[in-house]
Amino acid sequence: MSFGKMKMFSVSHKTVFVVDHCPYMAESSRQQVECDVLTKSRAQGVIPLAPVSKSLWTCAVECSMEYCRILYDVYPKDKLINYIVSDSEFHILNSWRQEDQSIQELMAALAAVGPPNPREDPECCSILHGLVSAVEALCKITELQHEKRTALMDTAERVANRGRIICLTNAKSDTHVRMLEDCIQETILEQNKLAAGSDRLMAIQQCELVLVHIYPQGEDTLVSDRPKKEISPLLTSEVHSVRAGRHLATKLNILVQQHFDLASTTITNIPMKEEQHANTSANYDVELLHHRDAHLEFFKSGDLHMAGTSTRENGLKETVTLKWCTPRTNVIELHYCTGAYRISPTDVNSRPSSCLTNFLLNGRSVLLELPKKSGSKVISHMLSSHGGEIFLHVLNSNRSTLEDPPSISEGCGGRVTDYRITDFGEFMRENRLTPVSENSHNPSGKLPFERAKSQLERYTRYWPMIISQTTIFNMQAVVPLANLIVKETLTEEDVLTCQKTVYNLVDMERKNDPLPISTVGSRGKGPKRDEQYRIMWNELETLVKTHAAATDRHQRVLDCIIACRSKPPEEEERKKRGRKREEREDRTEKNGNKEAEDKSWQESERLKSLLDKEDQESEVIKDSPDSPEPLNKKPRLMAEETQPQERAKGPVSLLTMWTNRITTANSRKHQEFAGRQSSVNNKFELYQHLKEENGMDVHENGKATR
Amino acid sequence: MPTVVLMDVSLSMTRPVSLDSNEEFQRKNLAVHGLNMLFEHMASNYRLEFTALMAFSSLWELLVPFTRDYNALQEALSSLEDYDKTCIESALHGVSNVFQQEWGSTCACQVILVTDGSLGIGKGSLRHSLQTMKQRGEDKKFPLPFPFSTKMYIMCVASAEELQMTDALDNLEELLRLSGGDGQIFTVEGPLCMKSVHAMFGRLIDYAYSPFHAVLHCGNLSSDVQVFPRPEPVVVDEEVEPMPKTVNTEVDEVGAGATDDLDDEPSASQVAGKSPNFCVLLHGSLKVEGMVALVQLGPEWYGMLYSQADSKKKSNLMMSLFEPGSEPLPWLGKISQLGPISEAAENPYGEDDSKSPFPVQPQVKRSYAQNVTVWIKASGLQTDVQKILRNARKLPDKTQTFYKELNRLRKAALAFGFWELLKGVADLLERECTMLPDSAHPDAAFQLSHAAQQLKLASTGDSQYAAFDHNIAPMHTDFSS
Repeated sequence: MSFGKMKMFSVSHKTVFVVDHCPYMAESSRQQVECDVLTKSRAQGVIPLAPVSKSLWTCAVECSMEYCRILYDVYPKDKLINYIVSDSEFHILNSWRQEDQSIQELMAALAAVGPPNPREDPECCSILHGLVSAVEALCKITELQHEKRTALMDTAERVANRGRIICLTNAKSDTHVRMLEDCIQETILEQNKLAAGSDRLMAIQQCELVLVHIYPQGEDTLVSDRPKKEISPLLTSEVHSVRAGRHLATKLNILVQQHFDLASTTITNIPMKEEQHANTSANYDVELLHHRDAHLEFFKSGDLHMAGTSTRENGLKETVTLKWCTPRTNVIELHYCTGAYRISPTDVNSRPSSCLTNFLLNGRSVLLELPKKSGSKVISHMLSSHGGEIFLHVLNSNRSTLEDPPSISEGCGGRVTDYRITDFGEFMRENRLTPVSENSHNPSGKLPFERAKSQLERYTRYWPMIISQTTIFNMQAVVPLANLIVKETLTEEDVLTCQKTVYNLVDMERKNDPLPISTVGSRGKGPKRDEQYRIMWNELETLVKTHAAATDRHQRVLDCIIACRSKPPEEEERKKRGRKREEREDRTEKNGNKEAEDKSWQESERLKSLLDKEDQESEVIKDSPDSPEPLNKKPRLMAEETQPQERAKGPVSLLTMWTNRITTANSRKHQEFAGRQSSVNNKFELYQHLKEENGMDVHENGKATR
Repeated sequence: MPTVVLMDVSLSMTRPVSLDSNEEFQRKNLAVHGLNMLFEHMASNYRLEFTALMAFSSLWELLVPFTRDYNALQEALSSLEDYDKTCIESALHGVSNVFQQEWGSTCACQVILVTDGSLGIGKGSLRHSLQTMKQRGEDKKFPLPFPFSTKMYIMCVASAEELQMTDALDNLEELLRLSGGDGQIFTVEGPLCMKSVHAMFGRLIDYAYSPFHAVLHCGNLSSDVQVFPRPEPVVVDEEVEPMPKTVNTEVDEVGAGATDDLDDEPSASQVAGKSPNFCVLLHGSLKVEGMVALVQLGPEWYGMLYSQADSKKKSNLMMSLFEPGSEPLPWLGKISQLGPISEAAENPYGEDDSKSPFPVQPQVKRSYAQNVTVWIKASGLQTDVQKILRNARKLPDKTQTFYKELNRLRKAALAFGFWELLKGVADLLERECTMLPDSAHPDAAFQLSHAAQQLKLASTGDSQYAAFDHNIAPMHTDFSS
């Protein structure tokens, strides 16, 4: 997902606003605002209030705040503002720190400064104080610069220090502007020398000065516009000469778009109920700003002109018009989304804007349609909010390379039908994640997400994937123990619960309760009851063993199982031990062969790891006289193993089950040979009738045919 | 990343490979052999790739539109005809059009240009195109770079000596550079023959069409997976982190989260039995529960896994890659700060799954969520003043709203240094006071004059009254209790 990228430390990382607070800024902008709008019914005999007019200062401040508002909406982090006010001295209103980056902070600081004092001595006041301080501010390291420098260590020099100074002032003349530029250039050189010897300061590599000369309406400007030019390799400068009032507002709106790679989208045809006439609705337009990458597809494909772009009255700004599509309720449509970009409404508290933003903040989504000349509809974008932030999502309207993917059932393991889907769903729910406060400290010293991974590791130590591979996880009675044993630590109460679970199982065994043993493939009813219990106990022991080393309490649960579980007679046990040893040797031999045969390196690596596991399992088995057979057998490895006759009593391997099942199934399909049916010890004498004809006795093979 | 194979069918491709050996092949045969080998490889190991086949000489023709049917592609190769001269520029225009029509311009493209290194003569030749490209108008621009990101592989069916005799390689390098530089020129090693061309296409396969194998881990459960399309390395920031980040082949599933959100740059991750496979289990449960799983792809690089179904009831496990970084989705917060719910005092999802700890709310609300005051347009200011007056006329019922709106205006006026407005509104309130009807509640008059007085005091800038954090409180009257 793309959220719109800029180089981390481009000039846009640090912006210093330097706003002139000298006495002449107290002058009126001469743009009047009628704030006493009288309704007709009350108009008689009332003298309306004289219109108010904003000072140059008020105009400068509110437009700069608007710049900051849009910036903070679209880039809540890492695009920083330092606000400086200049009169007879400089006043720094905030710092580069992230917590200082908010409109509220700045508004409070501005209120403390108040409007310029018209009676102050103009000779003492200058914008220069602020500009010098701005250069100093640019040398100060930001949190992100510090963090990256620390992280990069040897290559710390990759962290660049660039910045932009936006100066809102009322300059005297072009010469005055040049003087200001020269002064900034000099200050940069001076400050860079200072910075060389400090840890908390960085030399400025590039500074972009944007000087906005503000003059009252109805006056002629004394300063000329000038596009960006290079003053020195370190400094570029541009001059904008703008009338106070809405011209200034438009200028700063354009600047914020240029400085931060923004673009404009106008949502058209938004149906909205009229304030006065609630049953009628009219269509409104709302303009949004966002990273320009949200229009990437239009730009690249040259569709921009088709997309209803219009150059607006000011002749400077373009917007792409997209049409509102009334959302269908209860339809969850998933779209391929190629990016999501934060938005900021241009006219944030107009009624249409706030209606749209509230609608979205309440969890609704709006699809946006790109009007095409042909009249066909293409849904190109979607507006939707996540956690109180609205994003413009870019939808892929072209063919997707992901169409017609193969079904998972066609792949590896796709034909297995008894996966423990529900159990794994439960597992996932238990392993869900939640945000943890950065202030909370964990005794393990591990990050929350590392702890989540350790939990996954613990929970999966013994986790059979298919139903026919497990008994205990199909038993309600085991649940309390199974849930507790995976915990990192157990309480005394937990141990008691586990022990109760074990006693309960013992009780079940005594009462000869049936167990949910898979009977797949086995003839008739499957293993006998006592055999079933043996399987169950073995599995339970396997589970608990994987956790026993964690704490003493875990070990006590294992001890309890070993002490309580049914034990076969000692004689049998001894025999078994011998057999197991043989088997193990046998297996390693086979595995060895297999490995040699295997050509692919990766395959063999994987096999090895499987073998290791298997060996560990057998290791465990050796230590305990009455240990379980490895239940989680890998059929692939065990494929050639033939089952000794006596082992029918032991836990049945998958292969045996399968073979048995196939045999049974096959046997039903044809009539058994008469000879095999009447055989003794699998032997049947052929051509008996010949013997008979020869007059010989036919007793050996049991039944005579005649 | 769909592939366009651009096959040179100019007359020069019919030249015999060698005059002195007894091989009777044309260069075209070698090229077709190489491509057949590539298509066979793709059919068995890279079968989800969409490939189109275009032939070009002075004109170009789309022989097979984008398809996964590699037989169709091979069949088309077997019936190539021979045409006139090589003109790469027009063919590239063709690629640009064909690709954009199908995939738009946000999808990345791989172009395999197969040529013999004789790049045309005179007008229309690559040399001519490159020499004149700077002197052209908007309408006749050289097609490179394409509007979509491109990886260009140039397969030269020519011996090294042949290539060195002309400036062909220089021109092809320039072509590669113009395309964005992300690609490679392949030449044969040793004499030009079936074997060397075979080896050259082998190198292309290793470079660009090797399947991406990885292991998906979830604790002790794991599964081998093949990821398609291949996740490509990403450069996060050229300056600070110039090394491209690549996806680790050991992919860790971190945990599951119940977000039902975005799918982006999704890569179908699919696995090639009968023994149980963790991927199938995971997929089944994700599908049933409607959940997604978070995966770690590398240091500070994450993505998510979910079940994706197409309309035909076939579903598969999909992996979406997030942009590298510690906080790829703002509404999840920092991934490293996501911990197991078992540590929480109470289940943040609720016992009945009725709640969710997501989305994480930002510390500072966005402007549209916090009732900011903007008076850039006169209408903004007028609306705010009218709101106060409307409430003023409904005092004392609307006392709370009246003061709320009043204080909002006061704060903004103080911040903007707009004291004149404070005086103006004070005057308005005083006027309202004089205009109160007889039926008005006596409290209304008290509140109005109190408010007016407070505003006037604030407009003096006196620190006692003009403090930003100070709010004008309703006047306590005997009526109000």
